[in-house]
Amino acid sequence: MARSRSLTDLARLGFADLGAADRGLARLDRPDSEPWFAEAADPDAALERLLRLVERDAAATDRVLADPDAGVRLVRVLGASEGLAAFYHRHPEQLTSLIEPMEEPPGPESLREELLAAVRGRTGEAARVALRVGYRRQLGRLVAWDLAQPSGQDAVERVAGTLSDLAAAALEASLSLARAEAPFPAEEVAATRLAIIGMGKAGGRELNYLSDVDVIFVAEASAGLAEQRAVEIGTRLAMLAIRGVAELAMEPGLWEVDANLRPEGKDGALVRTLESHLAYYERWAKDWEFQALLKARPLAGDAELGERYVAAIWPMVWQSASRDHFVESVQRMRGRVTDHIPADQVDVQLKLGPGGLRDIEFTVQLLQLVHGLTDEQVRVRGTLPALERLVEQGYIGRVEAGEFAEEYRFLRVLEHRLQLRRLRRTHIMPVDEEGLRVLARASGLAATGEELRDRWQRVKTRVRELHERLFYRPLLSAVAALPDGELALTSEQAIARLAAIGFRDAKGALGHIAALTSGLSRRAQIQRTLLPVLLRWFADGVDPDGGLLAFRRISDQLGDAYWYLRMLRDSTSAAQRLTEVLSGSRFVQALFERIPEAAAWLESGEDLAPRGLPALLEEQESITARYRDDEESAVRALRHLRRREMLRLAIGSMLGLVPIDELGPALSDVVTTTLSGALAISHRPGDGIEFGVIAMGRYGGRELGLGSDADVMLVYRDAGAGDSAQATAERIVRELGRLTEDLQLPFELDTNLRPEGKQGPIVRSVASYRAYYERWAVSWEAQALLRARVVVGDVGVLAEFQELIAEVRYPSAPAEQDIREIRRIKARVEAERLPQGADPKRHLKLGRGSLSDVEWLVQLVQLQHAARIPGLRTTSTLEALGAAEEAGLIAAPDAARLRDAWLFASRARSAMTLWLNRTTDILPAVRRDLEGVARLMGYPRGSASRFEEDYLRITRLARQTFDRLFTGQG
Amino acid sequence: MDKQRDFVLRTIEERGVKFIRLWFTDVVGTLKSVAVAPAEIEGAFAEGLGFDGSAIEGFTRAYEADMLAFPDPTTFQILPWRGEVDPTARMFCDVMTPDGQPAASDPRHVLKRTLAKAADRGFSFYTHPEVEFYLLDSVDLGPDGQPVPVDTAGFFDNVPGGTAHDFRRRSVRMLEDIGISVEFSHHEAGPGQNEIDLRYADALATADNIMTFRAVIKEVAIEQGVYATFMPKPFTDHPGSGMHTHMSLFEGDSNAFYDPAGHYELSAVGRQFIAGLLRHAPEITAVTNQFVNSYKRLWGGDEAPGYVTWGHNNRAALVRVPLYKPGKGQAARIEYRAVDSAANPYLAYSLLLAAGLRGVEEGYELPPEAETNPWELTEGERRALGYARLPASLEHAVSLMEDSELVAETLGEQVFNYVLLNKREEWAAYRSQVTRFELERNLPTL
Repeated sequence: MARSRSLTDLARLGFADLGAADRGLARLDRPDSEPWFAEAADPDAALERLLRLVERDAAATDRVLADPDAGVRLVRVLGASEGLAAFYHRHPEQLTSLIEPMEEPPGPESLREELLAAVRGRTGEAARVALRVGYRRQLGRLVAWDLAQPSGQDAVERVAGTLSDLAAAALEASLSLARAEAPFPAEEVAATRLAIIGMGKAGGRELNYLSDVDVIFVAEASAGLAEQRAVEIGTRLAMLAIRGVAELAMEPGLWEVDANLRPEGKDGALVRTLESHLAYYERWAKDWEFQALLKARPLAGDAELGERYVAAIWPMVWQSASRDHFVESVQRMRGRVTDHIPADQVDVQLKLGPGGLRDIEFTVQLLQLVHGLTDEQVRVRGTLPALERLVEQGYIGRVEAGEFAEEYRFLRVLEHRLQLRRLRRTHIMPVDEEGLRVLARASGLAATGEELRDRWQRVKTRVRELHERLFYRPLLSAVAALPDGELALTSEQAIARLAAIGFRDAKGALGHIAALTSGLSRRAQIQRTLLPVLLRWFADGVDPDGGLLAFRRISDQLGDAYWYLRMLRDSTSAAQRLTEVLSGSRFVQALFERIPEAAAWLESGEDLAPRGLPALLEEQESITARYRDDEESAVRALRHLRRREMLRLAIGSMLGLVPIDELGPALSDVVTTTLSGALAISHRPGDGIEFGVIAMGRYGGRELGLGSDADVMLVYRDAGAGDSAQATAERIVRELGRLTEDLQLPFELDTNLRPEGKQGPIVRSVASYRAYYERWAVSWEAQALLRARVVVGDVGVLAEFQELIAEVRYPSAPAEQDIREIRRIKARVEAERLPQGADPKRHLKLGRGSLSDVEWLVQLVQLQHAARIPGLRTTSTLEALGAAEEAGLIAAPDAARLRDAWLFASRARSAMTLWLNRTTDILPAVRRDLEGVARLMGYPRGSASRFEEDYLRITRLARQTFDRLFTGQG
Repeated sequence: MDKQRDFVLRTIEERGVKFIRLWFTDVVGTLKSVAVAPAEIEGAFAEGLGFDGSAIEGFTRAYEADMLAFPDPTTFQILPWRGEVDPTARMFCDVMTPDGQPAASDPRHVLKRTLAKAADRGFSFYTHPEVEFYLLDSVDLGPDGQPVPVDTAGFFDNVPGGTAHDFRRRSVRMLEDIGISVEFSHHEAGPGQNEIDLRYADALATADNIMTFRAVIKEVAIEQGVYATFMPKPFTDHPGSGMHTHMSLFEGDSNAFYDPAGHYELSAVGRQFIAGLLRHAPEITAVTNQFVNSYKRLWGGDEAPGYVTWGHNNRAALVRVPLYKPGKGQAARIEYRAVDSAANPYLAYSLLLAAGLRGVEEGYELPPEAETNPWELTEGERRALGYARLPASLEHAVSLMEDSELVAETLGEQVFNYVLLNKREEWAAYRSQVTRFELERNLPTL
């Protein structure tokens, strides 16, 4: 046969495999049909499927193709749905149903009549097959109608509604079959009333081409039948009705009927009386169950009973927002939006995941629940009608709602076309080019696959933003004048929303929002734009109220500073970090308010890295030189320096930018800088002495935490002062204390590790130290020297001290009695230094298996072996522990336990300071405090108990190791 | 659950219940009770009933003062002994913290958690205890400083029309009224000693039943003007009161201990479970035998299970594989004989289950069966056969428990710590006593 078409023509029609198309069309041999394929989503597949139909039943196929309009319809359906093609292949006689066009989607009545008629007079398998064939016949006609619409988005609501009516009709027909087949006396079956209530998408009249149909069954007795008997029969009817649509038969089942939203879920009775339903919901329903009831609607069966059910249940739905655990339920609901998506699906999920359909549904339902409590007008079922009502009642803006509805329709069309393809339940976007191209053609939403993907990405982004604009932005309107055309919430409405997301003092929060957004300043303008997003982030923290208040104060102080506004506006990550640190730490809240310019660091990670000692000292020297003769200014500037660097480290550690092994050295550097500044002021040339500061304890080990004291020893040597040298040194010590005082962020200089402790002189000459240590070669003071590190002061005296301690602290062979003495002192310290009534298991510093246990054990090993093993000669606990492990002095499992405990306790201690904004060594008792600390330790929400249990376990294990190794027993 | 709650509320209405006792158990195993009015019960189901935990052993830390008790509706029972005047009912409670997490120090939670762990592996755990106790004339000691058993006063003399069987009849009736069916037997071994067998049930129900049972027995005794004690060893010369416990694991409907082809029809799981019990027995003894007095029973000779052995017909073995009718696979079980009547059943059963499961998980090898009574062997023979001993004293038991990860893991850190603390205190107080033994033995000669 002569070829009447060029390959270019075929390409223009949309064929992909031109050779195969050419051969196929030749086989079909209907030149008039060729243009029809331009209408098909997948012309190649449409042609192939059409040819198979011709093979199957040429006569039936020809009858359709004879009518050009019907032919186009068939090609469209075949090109969009492999599933329907298979149906026509199974039942070619059904092809003729496409000859008559569906002018408008039929109403629920006519669908019900149609399916009831299909089963009438039939029983058993034949009836089920007839029911399903009838359903799919209507489905095919509906698909043909849908695909012929100029805009899928305009049609999607009607399609979803018709699908819901069709599902209802199928259940109705299946139930009528069940009644005919139920193995009970006919009059008893007749006296059993049964209503099928649609939930979820079926209830909301927004079913997909292939959704599970969520239902609940209600039974009632009439005509003198016992209630129990009615429930028994009703249960049987319900099971049969489900089987009728879902069970295996010659013609495959339609969809799953899911009755798990019923009271008590899978474990509950399948059928209950209305009274029993009500009793359940009145007493026991969990909040999320109410959310599921939001869409309940009589679907099939006894309409009057169904109406009564809905009328009785419906008002209860709207009371749920006033229930105690509403906030937690909402958080769980939100969690469900994003959780449980396999990682490899996040980017291809149409329904779940950020910017998916679920995001829209969640937002709309949340708004409905929050405002439906007082406003009956928003109590409607479908997502789109609900949006409409929320606009009418002034809870969201018309413009945003319109956009939201548009995005919703867009996503729903994609969902429909995807599911239509195989008549399977799927929400996964295709990733291959061919799949995307077909989807683009099927949906009419884009010309090419690539364009469709881009458009979808944009929609996802907008949906994410719209959640903020719909839920959070109107919060501002309650207190601030928004541009004309935007709606205004009342304060009560706004407070209800704030409380729903976790603000404890919602009224106070609203006050802060008012302060932040009122006025005509640029700042107020920008904050009006930003706050909706910020509020959501604040709500993710443990202390949203405190976070918002601190944010307000920071903003007040920064005023219209250009950089701040620009940063908030342009840098999402900076703004998010700001909310995270403010709502997670009271320490940061308090300090940030004093140093609002710290906001600038949040833009990049660089500014949050520790600055390093040289840079800090340079700044300190510049300050002390600048204010040489102005002590007050110098002290103020140094105090600011310290607060600022502490804040930097606090924020850095919260955001995970400064890990624990960098935090300790960095905090030590800040202490060194502070002392260096104070010494520069108090110790002037001509004093007649040289003066030095020795870092001890955790400071010496460069292992400080936020909130640690600074352990030091102080030393001098005479440089001409003669008899007044000691007095001069003591004056300097007093000055150091005075100059470093800070009520806002206390600086504790702890000199108790000096020889003779509190009884000894607060400062000694090098000679005095030498005399002391010579007499007490190894003692617990010498042990303290293990962590001594010269830090600040005159070079000469520091060098001499360094030499002195080198001889003392690593004795070549400590006497057994000295070792025993150290063990005894440790035991005594445990007994005496623990505060009155403190539980040793919960004391992070002196408690069972916590910091000091690990440190004493490591120090004991150092005293015994450091002379021999150079690696042990370090002031750092972790380094010494590592060296001891390497040298085989502590077995690897023991070292691991000790390290775990030391790190866990150190991190917990810093986290406690961050959360409580005060220093304590005792694990919090109040649950909310435990929660706050646990979150800072990186635990997920609701892990207070787990954190507590972990701490107790880790320290117990460390203590076992300590007990064994420290006493040298076992 | 919700059906159960409906049932409870309905029953309270129908039966005109005036008070509901909410029961929970402290770490030591003492029953605690809070009485509430019917009007409060619905709220207690929904939001829990707040109480001050600082008054309770093991909940003593100040920061756990605020606790919530959530009644478990499946445990609802009308209490028979107050039936005449004001109908009173009881329910066991789960104790929660104010933020809705299970209280770490609630023994019932410890058992639930352990059962859940077993369930994750597909097992459910059933127990059947035989509880022994003594009936005494009163809580006061006799002139010789010893308790006075009722038998000497002829309480159990079989005189027609006498008070002989009143106690027994009344107890059985009350227990049955409360839904606990029992078998009652009178021991000849010790004067006034009785044994009651509780029927097989899942371990949580059994533990609840044991708590109820102890309360009922005490109550009936008071009614009858006598005193009932579950003290492990009240008499030097008479046997102690044990709580031998039969155990089995089920996988779905089938008994996991049963294998018709196995030795004694015992499956591999059963053998490993026994091996687990044996290996961990010493470290769990501080809980299964938690008082100073418990060790007087364990080392009282005769059939006391002081040595870590297992056997079939061996009445002195720690673990016994009882006879049952051949082919009755569902009845396959093993009996652990160390537990005494004063144990906290929630904690004791948690540890027995955990020890046995550890054996199953790690595939422990079962040592050879002990065919003779270990008490009849010489120390040298026992050593040669490799029979370990249970701890000799509470102190010994506590020090073994302290090193046990199995116990710490199972009880949770807080209960673990509390038990150690509490038991060390008990030991210290005991050791500071100068006993009659010392005075009688040493004073005349030293």
